[in-house]
Amino acid sequence: MNRSLTVDVLFWCFAAGSVLTGYLVFRTDSMVRAAFWLLASFVGVGAILVLLAAEFLGVVLILMMAGEMLIMAVVMVMFMMNPAGLNPMFMVHQHRFAVAAGVVSFAGLSAVALTVDFPDQPVDPAVDATAELGFELLGDSMLVFQTAGVALLATMIGAIALASRNGRFGTADEGSLEPALDIEELESP
Amino acid sequence: MRAYLDPGAAVVSVAVAMVVGVYVVAVIDGTAGRLAAGAGRSDLGAVLLDPLRTVALLLTQRRRRTERADAPGWALAPGLLGGLAATGLAVVPVGPGTAVADPSTGFVVFATAIAFVMIAVFLHGWSPNSLFPLIGAYRYGAQALSLQIPFLLAMLATALPAESLAVMDIVEAQADLWNVVRQPLGLPLYLMVGVGVSFWGPLNLPDGADLIGGTSAEDAGTDRLAWELARAAMLFSIAAMGAAAFLGGWWGPLLPGPVWMALKTLFLLVVMVSSRHLVARVRIEPFVVACWAVFIPLALVNIFVSGALLL
Amino acid sequence: MGLRPAVERVAARAPVPVFAVAGAGAQAQVDDLLLQPRLHLVDSPAAANVLLIAGSVPAHLAGELARLHDGVSRPRLSLWWSLGSSVAPPMPPAVEVLDADPSVLVEAVVDTHRRLLFGELTSSPPVLPDEEPAPWRGIGPYGQGGTGMTGGVPYGRPMAEVAPDRDGLRLDQLTVRIGPFFARFPTGLVLEVQLQGDVVQQAHVVVAPEGEAAVEVDVPTTFRDALNTPVPVSVLELERARSHLRSIASALVAHQLPSLARRVLRFASNVHPDQSEDVQRLHRLLRRSQVLGWATKGVGPIPSDQLEGTATGPVARASGVDQDERTTDPAYLGLGFEPIVHDGGDARARMAQRLAEAGQALQLAGRAGDRHHDPEASLESPRGRLAVGDLPAQRLLPLLPAVLEGMEWGDAVSTVVSLDLDTDEVLALRSPDRELPVP
Repeated sequence: MNRSLTVDVLFWCFAAGSVLTGYLVFRTDSMVRAAFWLLASFVGVGAILVLLAAEFLGVVLILMMAGEMLIMAVVMVMFMMNPAGLNPMFMVHQHRFAVAAGVVSFAGLSAVALTVDFPDQPVDPAVDATAELGFELLGDSMLVFQTAGVALLATMIGAIALASRNGRFGTADEGSLEPALDIEELESP
Repeated sequence: MRAYLDPGAAVVSVAVAMVVGVYVVAVIDGTAGRLAAGAGRSDLGAVLLDPLRTVALLLTQRRRRTERADAPGWALAPGLLGGLAATGLAVVPVGPGTAVADPSTGFVVFATAIAFVMIAVFLHGWSPNSLFPLIGAYRYGAQALSLQIPFLLAMLATALPAESLAVMDIVEAQADLWNVVRQPLGLPLYLMVGVGVSFWGPLNLPDGADLIGGTSAEDAGTDRLAWELARAAMLFSIAAMGAAAFLGGWWGPLLPGPVWMALKTLFLLVVMVSSRHLVARVRIEPFVVACWAVFIPLALVNIFVSGALLL
Repeated sequence: MGLRPAVERVAARAPVPVFAVAGAGAQAQVDDLLLQPRLHLVDSPAAANVLLIAGSVPAHLAGELARLHDGVSRPRLSLWWSLGSSVAPPMPPAVEVLDADPSVLVEAVVDTHRRLLFGELTSSPPVLPDEEPAPWRGIGPYGQGGTGMTGGVPYGRPMAEVAPDRDGLRLDQLTVRIGPFFARFPTGLVLEVQLQGDVVQQAHVVVAPEGEAAVEVDVPTTFRDALNTPVPVSVLELERARSHLRSIASALVAHQLPSLARRVLRFASNVHPDQSEDVQRLHRLLRRSQVLGWATKGVGPIPSDQLEGTATGPVARASGVDQDERTTDPAYLGLGFEPIVHDGGDARARMAQRLAEAGQALQLAGRAGDRHHDPEASLESPRGRLAVGDLPAQRLLPLLPAVLEGMEWGDAVSTVVSLDLDTDEVLALRSPDRELPVP
């Protein structure tokens, strides 16, 4: 089996897998399964990126999605009363609007995919894509990524401050209640 | 050109390495347990054979299913963890120019395998539809997310001298000086993260004794066996990567490269596995606070110092 | 020879996974089974093949025992270690061991397991009937008995409700009942907790209703004997040291250090008056393993004003309350006895207190000579003042709900273990409305 046939077969497998698992996100009643189907879809996309010789981007996509999908699953379990779909209920909200939005997006993206002229240059095997990416990140695109990096760091610090035990008016264990506004009457001596 | 084995040979060699590694982990665990308990050293036969006997015992136990469990997820979780251990092990080079797989982003592939362990453990805890496994799954989520950044930063520092993300290059760059000497903060951080990611010993919060076995509380038979094997395999692959990235991999006098790799992996395994019998389980809240407030700054200091030394 | 018989032969030589239930009069012997290399004591019935019931389990725990039995993995068998009790467990066991010698028990368990593996004994069938938790009620689109998201009780399980948590969010909250066979809790302790994630929002202690028959404890213990007959002080003090060391071993297992627990148990079973320096070495070992360090520091603090006058032994003395019945005991005059007191009142102080008292007890046993404890004088058991009808567990358990509130579950387990509650006392508790009154 020559190399490009293997690559083609793998591409179609990953593509079909991503589409199928994406569809399953909406068909399953269990929120944790939905998060993990979405993760599987992203893994398929990451694998396709690796096939396109963008190794670093593909693997980093998979790395990031693991943590993100886990947090999504946990947040859904935290806030939903029926996260595993064990209680019989209709699990979808704003059904018609969502379907309409999906159809419109699909039509738009398909139009883009069919009409745009995508580049068709095979990457030179001697080029190390990771090194090239590194040069790009710290060369021409440095401003963008440094700004994004600083913004992410600020977000992280803000999240840690929000989650910290000490609120403005005391520790979270004691409710961190702000002091009352009215003045108490003192007993006469 | 990067080193790659063809798929058949890759699967076989990784499988053989994992079987050997898991057995070594079990023997070290048994020995460390006996030494900590103060028992005599005359039980060598038991130490070597008990892991095999326990495997046989778990094979005779019947599997269990709880009510309204997520059966596919429950069956998938140990396999996923084992597969991640295999992925991590595959990118570790064994000798100069010899590796099962050596992609140019080998370090990131290993980090991805480590990150995905969160998914496997959460799935393992969620699927039984039972209280204690679920709490174990949540706890591991908090623990693993907190450990991920110190892990990435500690390992990133090893990529700096190599100027490459490929593990083979990271080992090549240690020809004159091992990373453990250049970056003294890196290895202790990495070992702590390694113990935490494979939830072993003091960082065994998801399968803890206070949760009567946590995510494994409802497991029986081959489910339990597969989970324990996968966990030991994860520990082994983390030790192997630590040997490659911090202890100079195959570099060493007299003996051939692969033998040095094996010895260094064995050393790290002894340190990590014996922690289970020496240190009590950590408390989750102070641990998470320590990860974010102490270990991340330490890892950043590690990177700044090694970066400064290189410039 | 086929593959399956070969696997069974190898499996028969592995340590047998046993889930041990300690009934009345059996806690110490069950704790000591940790020292047996051919038994593997597990925390969850799913990991076990043999259900070991030791001593006498009261009838009001019959339902939970049946559920426990059905949770044990197949091939399964239950085995009763009578330990001098004449009351059979509420669920008939397959094998009975009447000899109190632990090695006889181990032989019986290993032999039973081997015969179970080879098919000579059949796995015991489930005790409880296999029926749907909730019948079809006819109302609601799925017959759950109500309509909408929260209508009815689907599959017999109440849905989690949302409740405010300490950050002001409204998150789901589960009400669960933990016990009576939870690992390292005294048998019979049932906690009804409301959990948000792994944080205990509220906890209640549930005890047996008043009408239940009292458990007859046929196995005498040293301290119960001391209530009626004069017992030598050296015997009392050695037993006190043993009890404290066993409690420390239980805490070590709770903190995931079973090997160190074995070391402590071996020390406890061979305890001797000359060994007070070994207690020092043990203290260093515990400090290094952080069990007397960050694992218990600040966990489960009980302020001294709640313990003033409750005479609850090491728990009170670890909070700084200077109260020990032995100071009023004439048998201890001239032995140079001074009560040891720690401050802090957290789990660490309690463990350090017990360790120090164990060392002190060994020294007292060496010096006691021929003195006997007078049954008329008040008795200080390892858990506090013991008198007929006045048990330390009765005084300690009402403190638990307030202490556990807001605690993370791992800390909650450490706290309960650090209170060192006696199984016999907890099994004897009764209350008219099944709840313990909070002081």
